[in-house]
Amino acid sequence: MYGYILRRLLLAIPVLIGVSILVFAIIRLIPGDPARAIAGVQASPEFIEQVRRDLLLDEGLHVQYYVYMTNLLQGDLGRSTFTRRPVTVELLQRFPNTITLAATAMVIATIIGMSAGIISATKRYSLFDNASMLAALVGVAAPVFWLGVMFQLLFSVQLGWLPSGGIGTWKHLVLPALTLGLATAALIARITRSSMLEVLRQDYITTARSKGLVESVVTYKHALKNAMIPVVTVMGLQFGTLLGGAVLTETVFSWPGIGRLMVDSILARDYPVVQGAVLLLAVFFVLINLVVDIIYAFLDPRISYGSKKGE
Amino acid sequence: MKKWLFGLLVLLLLTGLLVSGCPAEDVTPDPDPDPDPNDVPVDVEQDLVIAIGAEPESLDSLLMNSAPAATVSEHMIETLIYLDVDGTLQPSLAESWEPTEDGLAWDLSLRQGVTFHDGEPFNAEAVKYNLDRFMAYGDFEGQTAAIYAFLLGEVNEFEVIDEYTLRLHLNQEFAPIISHLSHSFVGMHSPASLGALGEDEVLEAPVGTGAFKIVSWDRGERIVMERNEDYWGGAPELETVTFVFVPEAGSRVIMLETGEAHAIMAVPPTEIDRLEAEADIDVVFEDSVRVIYIGFNLEDERFNDVRVRQALNHAVDKEAIIATIFQGVGSPSSAPVVPAVFGYTQVGPYEYNPELAMELLAEAGFEDGFDIELFHPTGRYPQDSTVIEAVQAMFAEVGVNASLTTYDWGTYLDTVIVPPEQAEHDLYMLGWGTVTLDADYGLYALHHSTQWPPRNNVSYYANDEVDALLDEARVTPDTAVREALYAEAIQLIWDDAPWVYLHNEGQVNAVRSNVHGLIHHPLENILAWDAYIE
Repeated sequence: MYGYILRRLLLAIPVLIGVSILVFAIIRLIPGDPARAIAGVQASPEFIEQVRRDLLLDEGLHVQYYVYMTNLLQGDLGRSTFTRRPVTVELLQRFPNTITLAATAMVIATIIGMSAGIISATKRYSLFDNASMLAALVGVAAPVFWLGVMFQLLFSVQLGWLPSGGIGTWKHLVLPALTLGLATAALIARITRSSMLEVLRQDYITTARSKGLVESVVTYKHALKNAMIPVVTVMGLQFGTLLGGAVLTETVFSWPGIGRLMVDSILARDYPVVQGAVLLLAVFFVLINLVVDIIYAFLDPRISYGSKKGE
Repeated sequence: MKKWLFGLLVLLLLTGLLVSGCPAEDVTPDPDPDPDPNDVPVDVEQDLVIAIGAEPESLDSLLMNSAPAATVSEHMIETLIYLDVDGTLQPSLAESWEPTEDGLAWDLSLRQGVTFHDGEPFNAEAVKYNLDRFMAYGDFEGQTAAIYAFLLGEVNEFEVIDEYTLRLHLNQEFAPIISHLSHSFVGMHSPASLGALGEDEVLEAPVGTGAFKIVSWDRGERIVMERNEDYWGGAPELETVTFVFVPEAGSRVIMLETGEAHAIMAVPPTEIDRLEAEADIDVVFEDSVRVIYIGFNLEDERFNDVRVRQALNHAVDKEAIIATIFQGVGSPSSAPVVPAVFGYTQVGPYEYNPELAMELLAEAGFEDGFDIELFHPTGRYPQDSTVIEAVQAMFAEVGVNASLTTYDWGTYLDTVIVPPEQAEHDLYMLGWGTVTLDADYGLYALHHSTQWPPRNNVSYYANDEVDALLDEARVTPDTAVREALYAEAIQLIWDDAPWVYLHNEGQVNAVRSNVHGLIHHPLENILAWDAYIE
């Protein structure tokens, strides 16, 4: 197992180098002069020229990438062209907020989604099943900015229970996490339900039932664990998406996370920050995928990685 | 576990999640909840929270570049001269100013007995330090000058005459220099605080002489300031002022309604009616300094005939655009600069008259109209794309078929601010804020023939008479004479019609009714030093 993890980590390196090249190239292919975007419409041509020199924009792409990678390997992601602060500082300030939001949303999504999925599967075609699957459909379809604004209107304006935005206490976390979590909950509910249904049709479940086991033992001990594999896959992917894709939620709730930072930076042509943020998210995505693969092995003993010692 | 038990559990969880946000004491709606989210016990009475759409990129004079930066900075970092809401120049850290006899220098008499927030004295040496740093002169030679260093480009030396007198030496006579000194970005920091910055270190806690002192700056969230008890102008009423950064306009409105913010900037037009109907909220309409226009590419032969340019001006119904797209906020352009600007003369607006437009086009030989490429940015100016689509329809009414090319801001500037031989556009949309409220800033940069791209005369406009008037107004200290020169220049420009004049932007802020004394500045600043909460 440890050998496998090490191998996967080593394999991540070329992936990350690939990501860095892609990001580096793509944002430079966007038409438009970053120097002008930074300096603003009223700045003098001399100043724009100076910004261009500072950013090495007059150099060839290979020179820019060489300098970028050399610095990166020394842990230096460069400076934001907008705030002039080190990119690492910008990212480290925002990333914990994003993790907090995504993790809370994930917990909400898992509890609601899996519960609803399991009940729907075991009580197939019941009222609960139909109602929760309808809710899940709505949950998947409802745009988060709409859901977010509805929550603000209900819980902040009408009821006055929770702050409408910002960050600080756990109260600030509730609405954005709920907004973000519900859409994912809907997805998890649907996957859990279909995966459970499939497992419940398997022979070993029939065997378990015929042994006279109580239905709840069959459901939770025999079926659920095996039904978890696709669910865990989706959860892993979703968590990655939540990290980078919470832009709308972060904007509606003024949550200073990495998604908002990234969008602001793209609009301001703040190359170094965009590169840094994408790279950071890519690292996390790779790690999450690894964790998901390891969880597979725990869920299903038939899956093992490499070593025959069963580690 | 029984199945029904599981169902119950899920229900409980759901309810629990929804209700978890409401401990018993919070169940009743709180009209004015504690604005500080960290639950620090503070005097709720005089803690003002203002929600703005964007965060300052920096509070260092060298790097400031945006209206949010100016808004926040003005509370802590003062300028030598204050540009009042009516466009007049008021003493601030400088008490008086006058040109030397030859007009090639100005002497500033500085306010005495002022100290920076760190206790350092404010004097001519401190001013020289700040201005040298701004321009990368003197001790700062070889370093990077401020983004807005062009404001003081005509100054070649700052000389300390005595402890409270500073002399500005000019390259040539330059009348708008005092206006330029009033710009929010030419602020006075404590030299000690700037000197303490390490190499490559960014200023996080500005130290100035202003009515408020910085407490904290949480990037992406908020800037908190507290009252300066020793302020030379008398300590303000407010205990603290907090600017929170809320990019989504709808969310700002909600914060105002819940009382999480006392004031918000840039109310979306669609929310104006609703907010006006609320008893405890006041909607504030204020002019802005920005004109929005569609410029001609005057190198295009079809636009050589002034009748064509005037025709397109007559083809656009500015009133309708303002009434329908902006819910009545803003006004049709009546000159190339807004009314608040020194030197403004009313010469318009061009009357909406499609028949006249068609007549003029016919006289110019275009009875069948023509096709044009109209370039515009999206997401830069309020409703920019919608305005352009309206203009497109109005042009079509007089036989001019515009095909639209849309760019995001960064790309756009790079596409239209180009020399004539590279221009792909026939017409382009842009805006310009005369942030010094002096006509020189609005007219010279956009109409003088020396200012073609890469500078900002994007229409390639050139009129010798206008050039001469603008040059003369620059070097004439007499304000009455300057006003007359600008009046003449504005009339000439207006008749030449290098632009299709659209509108002067308006700004809409909203404030809770128990807050008084906020200054809503045409420069799109909201200023709180005279404010108090009732």
